[in-house]
Amino acid sequence: MAERAEVSAARLEAPRLGLVDRIRAAAMRHEPIRGYALLSPTMVWMLVALAVPLAILVTLSFWTQNYLDFDRTFSFNNYIVYFEKPIYLKLLIKSVKISGAVTLATVLLAYPAAYFIAFKVKKNKLMWLILITVPFWTSYLLRVFAWKVVLGFNGVINSGLITLGVIDAPLEFILYNPTAVVITLAHAWAAFAILPIYVSLEKIDRSLLEAAADLGEGPIMSFLRVTLPLSMPGIIASSLLVFIPTTGDYVTPNLVGGPTGIMIGNIVASLFGKANNWPLGAATAVMSMFFITLVVCAFLWFTKQVRERVA
Amino acid sequence: MEANELMDKMTSGKMTRREFKKALAAVGLGLFAAPLASRRGLAATEDHPVIFTWEGYEDPGMHGSYLSKHGESPNFTFFGDEEEAFAKMRAGFTPDIVMPCSYKVAIWRDAGIIQPIDDSRLSNFGDTIESLKNVPDMVVDGKRYWVCMDWGQTSIIYREDMVDIEEESWGLMWDERYRGRLSMMDSLIDGVMVAAIYGGAKDPFNMTPEEVDRTKELLREQLPLLRYYSSSPTDIQNALASGEVVAAVGWNDAYSALKAEGIPVKFMEPKEGAMTWTCGISLMAEGDASKLDKAYDIIDALISPEAGAWEITEFGYGHANRKAFDLVDDATLADRGLTRNPEDRLNSGIFQEPIGNEPELQNMFEEVKTGA
Repeated sequence: MAERAEVSAARLEAPRLGLVDRIRAAAMRHEPIRGYALLSPTMVWMLVALAVPLAILVTLSFWTQNYLDFDRTFSFNNYIVYFEKPIYLKLLIKSVKISGAVTLATVLLAYPAAYFIAFKVKKNKLMWLILITVPFWTSYLLRVFAWKVVLGFNGVINSGLITLGVIDAPLEFILYNPTAVVITLAHAWAAFAILPIYVSLEKIDRSLLEAAADLGEGPIMSFLRVTLPLSMPGIIASSLLVFIPTTGDYVTPNLVGGPTGIMIGNIVASLFGKANNWPLGAATAVMSMFFITLVVCAFLWFTKQVRERVA
Repeated sequence: MEANELMDKMTSGKMTRREFKKALAAVGLGLFAAPLASRRGLAATEDHPVIFTWEGYEDPGMHGSYLSKHGESPNFTFFGDEEEAFAKMRAGFTPDIVMPCSYKVAIWRDAGIIQPIDDSRLSNFGDTIESLKNVPDMVVDGKRYWVCMDWGQTSIIYREDMVDIEEESWGLMWDERYRGRLSMMDSLIDGVMVAAIYGGAKDPFNMTPEEVDRTKELLREQLPLLRYYSSSPTDIQNALASGEVVAAVGWNDAYSALKAEGIPVKFMEPKEGAMTWTCGISLMAEGDASKLDKAYDIIDALISPEAGAWEITEFGYGHANRKAFDLVDDATLADRGLTRNPEDRLNSGIFQEPIGNEPELQNMFEEVKTGA
């Protein structure tokens, strides 16, 4: 009887605790609450800056443009137009090809740089990493313009080659085409590829390489069988980091792409701008996201297959 | 070291390493100090109206009387063409003054973007050339929505030394011999309409479906011949000067600037007719009411004879103020292809009008540009 009386006394006392104390007590008891509380600033931000705009975009894509206003009745019109007119899918495929080339070029160029810093640099690694990010201290737009100057008709490459007597007239095929877009983007996104690859190379246990050498593997084979497979996470991460944003890029094709270097981002920009058809623009953007997701999933599946077969 | 001298030295490669480093240090110091110095300047210009306009009109030569009255220039921000401007304003951008050409005013008024102007508050309005005062559709129910500022032409600027043609025609923009050396304007009125005129559309601004198809076909044919679609006069100016492009569709200003640099260019009189346009000034409906007096001061400055004389001399455009022509000598006028009787020029050529089925044409053009 005495015990029960104590318990009921404790129950009676409980409401007297302040609100803060009660929240604290709840947080102590439930692990998930603590987790969500810790995450909440990020979650609120993600909700406001990502989920809400995305929801608006998807909603918008089911409306129709009525010259100056939106017709808010639900319809699949924009998606029908998207698949009926060949330009959207054609342009999307072209964009995927261009940014595929960009990804390949960026990763191929980034790997040696990352390898050098991870394995060959012994002192001042931090300085080397900072040096790699130096080009990013200037604006993205400025770097694209710089490429325009480098590749231009009277640009650095052309005037250099003319001075050296290699060519008589400026080369015109190096600017205002898809190649120029690939060159510019491959430079602009270099650091995004170097850093993840560097991290995965840095993590490799050096004793594995020694073991490979002890077991009689040459430098090439030990790279192919030890270093490369172990740095795959870095390669995959940097491929995705470069591929996903560049597919939708529109500034670079706009400035250096000329009439043949247009990408899907340009048509989305013009639908939201000059063509003044936001719903169709929204549908195009949604479909781009969908197809890029598909491509990325296929890429991840493929790399998984390869790794399983190798391992 | 003067800025020009610096540029000359750099381009001719006569700069020593020491001088170059000195210049770089100066730039670095300047960049570092700029945020400290400009703070006051920025705060002051917030009191001035924002003008949304074409590149080039920001020169103090165009608003001298405003500058002397208020001590500072107003704020300028630019668009490449009016479709871009319209999209930006529809999306919530509210400048105080916007400078459309006549063919856009009706649509912008319908969209509620612009408000009536009280022309009695403009001391220079009375001197406007009569026909420009009475451009159709600018006054609705006795309210004026647009004040004319200038007029000019859209035609082909070409390098006389690099292009060999027997007669002047828009066809030069489809000439296979100059593949990759041509540039078209990225615009409905100055780009798509060129193809419409060349294709022989009866009324290019109100085309029949067959004429639209023909125009589309022509634009498709043209795409592989182009170096790029230009979106600012400086684009084609540089490209024509270097010879990267031998012929480009453009306005009088690029022609005048190239001519002044001594480059052998010609402004074409195509046999199909050049396009004539007239542009002006409107007040934004949702502009800042507290800046309205200053807004009127700017409009009055822009249509003053002094601004007009400056514009005629520098850009080679005709101005709307009749008195502006009196401030310019005969040789300068003749050199710009203008006369003392502006109506001569105004009545020749194809006058740009509002485009019927505009959204459809814009979609068509965007589709063509993708090359798909």
